[in-house]
Amino acid sequence: MISKKYYFLFILFISFINSSCEHQRVSEQTSKVYKMGDDKRWSSIDFDDKDWKEEIEVNSDKVFWSRTKINITKGSKEFQIYGVDFVNTFGEYEVYWDGVLIGRNGNPGKEKQMGPTGEMWRSYRIPDGLSKGGEHLLAVRRSLYYYPENTRFNAFIEDYDHLLEFPLLYTAFMNIFAGGFLIAAIYFFFLFLGNKKQKPILIFSVSCFLFFALIIMEFIRTYISIHYSQHNIRMEIISYLTFFIAILVPLYFSLQFRYPKQKYIFTTYIVFLIYMFYRKHDWYDYTSIMMAMTTWFFLMGIVSWAVYKKQKGAIIILATLIACFVIFKLTYFDTSLFTGFSVILLGMFYILSVKAKKQRIAYEKSLVQSTRLRLELLKKNIQPHFIMNSLTSLIDWVEESPEKGVLFIEALAREFDLLNQIEDKTLISIHKEIELCIIHLEIMKYRKEINYIWEQEGIVDGEELPPATIHTLLENGITHCAALKSNEMKFKLIFEENKDSKSYTFLTFGIVRKTKKQTRDGTGLKYVKARLNESYGDRWSFSSQSTPEGWKNIIKIENK
Amino acid sequence: MNILIIEDETRIAKRIERMTREFFSDSLSSVNRVDELSDALEFIKNNPLDVVLLDLNLNGENGFDILKLAVSESFHTIIISAHKDRAIYAFEYGVLDFIAKPFNQNRLNQAFDRVLQNEKKQDVDIKFLAIKKKGAIELISVEDILYIKGSGVYTEIHLKSSKKELHDKSLEKLEQLLPKSFVRIHKSYLLKIIEMDKLVVKSGSKYTAELNNGEVLPVGRTKYKEIKEQWL
Repeated sequence: MISKKYYFLFILFISFINSSCEHQRVSEQTSKVYKMGDDKRWSSIDFDDKDWKEEIEVNSDKVFWSRTKINITKGSKEFQIYGVDFVNTFGEYEVYWDGVLIGRNGNPGKEKQMGPTGEMWRSYRIPDGLSKGGEHLLAVRRSLYYYPENTRFNAFIEDYDHLLEFPLLYTAFMNIFAGGFLIAAIYFFFLFLGNKKQKPILIFSVSCFLFFALIIMEFIRTYISIHYSQHNIRMEIISYLTFFIAILVPLYFSLQFRYPKQKYIFTTYIVFLIYMFYRKHDWYDYTSIMMAMTTWFFLMGIVSWAVYKKQKGAIIILATLIACFVIFKLTYFDTSLFTGFSVILLGMFYILSVKAKKQRIAYEKSLVQSTRLRLELLKKNIQPHFIMNSLTSLIDWVEESPEKGVLFIEALAREFDLLNQIEDKTLISIHKEIELCIIHLEIMKYRKEINYIWEQEGIVDGEELPPATIHTLLENGITHCAALKSNEMKFKLIFEENKDSKSYTFLTFGIVRKTKKQTRDGTGLKYVKARLNESYGDRWSFSSQSTPEGWKNIIKIENK
Repeated sequence: MNILIIEDETRIAKRIERMTREFFSDSLSSVNRVDELSDALEFIKNNPLDVVLLDLNLNGENGFDILKLAVSESFHTIIISAHKDRAIYAFEYGVLDFIAKPFNQNRLNQAFDRVLQNEKKQDVDIKFLAIKKKGAIELISVEDILYIKGSGVYTEIHLKSSKKELHDKSLEKLEQLLPKSFVRIHKSYLLKIIEMDKLVVKSGSKYTAELNNGEVLPVGRTKYKEIKEQWL
C-alpha cells in the first residue's frame, strides 16, 4: 500500500515537472559576439561584425555591445507573439531585435550617475512581423558597473504569453508547496513544545521551515524586482539555507536510524560539507549541487545501514532516495532540488509517523502495565492465601481468646486501610511503607506465632518508594525463611545515600528453607521489578539472594 | 490412626491438631505437624501413616508436586487449602476430601468420617491414579483401568493395554476414591462394571465375570446379587 502511494506521488512529480518546465524550442542561437564601444548602427542586422570577439573584458560602466544571431526554426503563427526572455542577466541594457529597439532595462552607461535600476529577469515582446522563420539578430547595448566580469548572458525566444504566464504558474505552484511546509513547520513546532524530549520533531519542524524559506527565497524574484547588484545577497541566503538543510536532514536520520560511531562519522560529514560549502562558494549552483550530492551519498549510507539492520521504515526511505536520484537525472537542477527535498521531507514525515506509532504502542503498554500493577497491589490483601489463612487464624484466636481476636482484627483493619491509601499511587513515602511492613508483621505474628522483630537504620524523611516494594520483600522473607531456634525472626531496612545513588538494603535474619525448586523470581519479585521500572526507568538495580544469616535484598536507585 | 499435618501457618496447624485429637481421641496413635516440604517428605518416607492433612500452598511453593506424591502413597490425603478453586483439580488426582479455609470442627469431622466409614465420595470423579515408578510419579488415566486386584497391602492395577501397575493404596482405599462405575465384585477385585461381558453361574454356586477382552475374574458369593442389579 505504502509503496503504491509513493509510486503515485513520484508519477505526480514527474508529470508536473514535464508539463511545466519543458517547452518546445522555437529557435537556436547560431553565434554571439561582443565589442566595447557604443554605436547605434551596431544594432542593424546587416552590420558586418567580423572583427567582434566571442569573449570580452569589461571595466567600469563603459558601454559594450553584443550581437547574437538567432535562427527561428518555427516561425510564429498568425496572431502569435514571440518574446525574448532574459534569464538571470547581469547589467543594465537596451535590447534591439533586427535593428528595432524593443526594450530597455536600466540605464546602460549611466549606472554610476543614475543608481541601480532594472531587474535580472525580464521578457521583451518581439514586434509583429519580425518573428518569422529564419535568421534574426539580437543586439544588446549594455553596461556592467557592479559585476563587470559577468558578461555572459542567456536569452531565449519563446511564445510571449508563455513567457509571462509560466513564472506566475510556477511560483503559484511552489507557493502552495511552501505553504504546506510552513504549516508542517508550525504544527510540528507546537508538537515539540508539548514534548520537549522529542528532538527529531524539532529537527523536522526546522527542516520544514528552512525548506519553506528556501522556496520563498528562490521565487521571491517573481514579486520583487531584483537588481543584479543585489543578486548575490539572495544567492548567499539560498546557499546558507541549503547548507543548513544539508546538516539537519542527515542529523534527523542519524537520530532515527542509529549506526555505530555516530558522532565520529557525523562530524566527518559536517567537515566535508563545510569544505564543499566554501570550496567554490560563489559558484552558487555548483556549490548547491555538490552539497546536495554529499548529503545524498551520506543519507544513502545511513539508510543502507538501516535497511541492513532491518530498521522499520528504512526501505521506504531508501526508495525515496532513489526517487531523488531519478528526479535529479530527469530534470534540471532547481527542480530536482525542490522535488528531491520534498520527497525526502515526506520520507522524514513517514519515519516520524512510524516512530509515533511505536511510541503510542509503548505508552499504551505502560498504561496497561500500571493498571496491572495497581490491581496486583489491590489483590495482595484479598488473595485467598492471605485472607483465608488470616480468617482461619482469626477464628481460632476468637475461639481461644476474644481479646486477642479483637487485636488481630484491628491489625487487619489497619493493613487494609493502609493499602487503601496507597492503592492508586506510584510512589509513597518511606514512612508509610515501613508502617505497612510493621502492621503486616503484627498480623503474621498472630498467624505464625513467631516473634517478628523490625529494625531500621538511616531512614530519611521525604524519601519515596513504589508502594509495597519492601512489603513484598518482607512477605518473601517470611516465606523463604523459618524462625530461629529462639522462635524469633528479625527484619532490617537500611537506607544509604551518596551523591550518585540511593540504596535500600532489606535483610531477613532466619533459617533459609530448603526448597525443592529454586523458583525465587516469583510473582513477588516481578512486581518489585515492574514497580521500579515504572518509576525509575532504567536507573535502578535489584538483587535478592540468600546469605548465611537469612536473606538479603538490595534496591539501588541512581540519581538523575 | 497415624496422622500427619502439613501446614506452614502455625496457628492453623495447631487448630487442626487440636480438632483431630478431639475427633479421634483414644483411637489416635500419633499426630504430627510439619511446616516445610522437605520435612514432610522425610516424615512420609519414614513413618507409617493413615491420613495426611495437606496445605497445598506451602511457603509459597506450588503444591502440585507434593499433591502428586501424597496421592501415590498408601495413606488418604485430605487437602486443607485457602484456594477453593483448586478443589476439582485435587479431587481429579485422588484426594479423599478437600476442606476450604476457613473451616470448623464439623467440616473436619465430616472428612474424618469419610476416612472411617469407608463411604464412597461423590464430589468430583477422580481422573488419575498416581503411581510410583522408578522413583518418579506417573499418572494413569482412570479411563484406562480395567480392574484392580488386591494383593496384600498393595494393589495391582490392570490396564486395558493389558499392562499391570502397582499402587501403594489398599483396595479399600482405592474403592473409596474411584467412581461408582468401579464395583467390588470380590474381596480381592474391583472391576469397572462396563468392562464385564457376562456374569456366569457355575456349578457349586461359583460365580465368575467374563470381561470383554475374554479374561475371567471370580465373583464373591455375597456380591452376586448386588452386581447383577447394578449391571442390568
